[in-house]
Amino acid sequence: MRLASVSNVRLVIPNTVGEAVDLIASKDDPALPLAGGTWVLRGAVRGDGFEPTYVLVSRLPELQTIDWGEGFLSIGAAVTHQQLADALTKESSLGGLFAAAGKSANPAIRRVATVGGNLAATDFAAGDLVPALIVAGAAIHLIDEQGKRTVTVSDFLACRAELLRGALLTHVTIPLGTGISAHERLTLRHAGDYPVAIADIHVELGDDGIVKNATVAIGSVEAVARSWPTLADRLIGSVLDSKIAELATRDLSDEVRPRDGVDASSWYRLQVLPTVVSRAIRTLLHAGGHGC
Amino acid sequence: MLIQITVNGETRGVHAPPLMSLGRVLREEFHLTGTKLVCGEGFCGSCQVFLDDEAVNSCLVPIATADGRQVRTIESIAEPRGPLSPVQQALKDADAVQCGMCFPGMIVSITSFLENCPHPSRLDVQAALVGNLCRCTGYERIVDAVVMLGAEG
Repeated sequence: MRLASVSNVRLVIPNTVGEAVDLIASKDDPALPLAGGTWVLRGAVRGDGFEPTYVLVSRLPELQTIDWGEGFLSIGAAVTHQQLADALTKESSLGGLFAAAGKSANPAIRRVATVGGNLAATDFAAGDLVPALIVAGAAIHLIDEQGKRTVTVSDFLACRAELLRGALLTHVTIPLGTGISAHERLTLRHAGDYPVAIADIHVELGDDGIVKNATVAIGSVEAVARSWPTLADRLIGSVLDSKIAELATRDLSDEVRPRDGVDASSWYRLQVLPTVVSRAIRTLLHAGGHGC
Repeated sequence: MLIQITVNGETRGVHAPPLMSLGRVLREEFHLTGTKLVCGEGFCGSCQVFLDDEAVNSCLVPIATADGRQVRTIESIAEPRGPLSPVQQALKDADAVQCGMCFPGMIVSITSFLENCPHPSRLDVQAALVGNLCRCTGYERIVDAVVMLGAEG
């Protein structure tokens, strides 16, 4: 529980990742990593208060870089949504991640909010990057006093609070594969509000346009974003077809545990999800997929 | 915590809690009240300022993260007794302003947008302004003004 008022908050600025980890892992006064700070300040307005101590990690060079490696992309945790969108414009297999980074929230938020913050905000169900990173096959890299560890996004989300206790999320790596991906989000208005439902789809197509491999993830519908393998299986073996995808989503809706929120009810999220999935398929078709 | 920021060209120091928002510091410590704190959650955009030449919501920027950086507020857009900035003039010409609460942020947002996209389409403008809420105008004249300004430039 966060209790401190803004006047009592302590912020420490480390020079190295090691110093940051020592502060985060402190037994007496564990510090919480702070990068853009958007979610922390928004929470304070809603009465969440602050942690007593934060450590500013956004200025650590290791967390600020985007590196195109041999067969993979590495994204520092303090990279902003806008910086990520700017870096991805030419990478079509990551078109979904590009859209997620470039369409989330609003331009002013995208210039400040970070990749690490989007992943680490345990109480934020509507983050755009999370489902996009799931279908991109991303790995999360953490460091704590025991050393470095790497987990898939799905494993990270399954026990996020435990993994982050005493650890710093340093970067994300994504294998650069083939295929095309799409990110679709539905907001109640166009005014930059949180999406009610998000669908991310990545497919690999054969020369005949048949889907050979597919990955689907949904965000904002349930309390935590997740992959949806049974829906992905329904896409494999056919050409891309938005109507078939919509019907398959409706058919499998019993597998979804939608959340209630002030912005939208669980019933509404479930009702709109098939349409959001069908829009993602249409986006894939525009990206180079073959329709029937 | 001692923070040093350059505000509208003048380097200034301020003692403030590190997680106090930049917007609060601008208003309460520097008395630059053109920056409007409205929703406090990054939705409305009324508090937008330039931070190192990028338009950001000052309500969601912890002041410590602005340490050593350049901030420009709505007060820097035009000289007090000088001509209006091109964006201000375009909004005035289009009769786009009503209560004015959202316009400091709106002008920062539009100015930033036009620096990167000088000849925008109507859709470009609408997409750029998703983070700037106006409860008076219905947006149409604001969008008209920006599109016309881009066409002239």
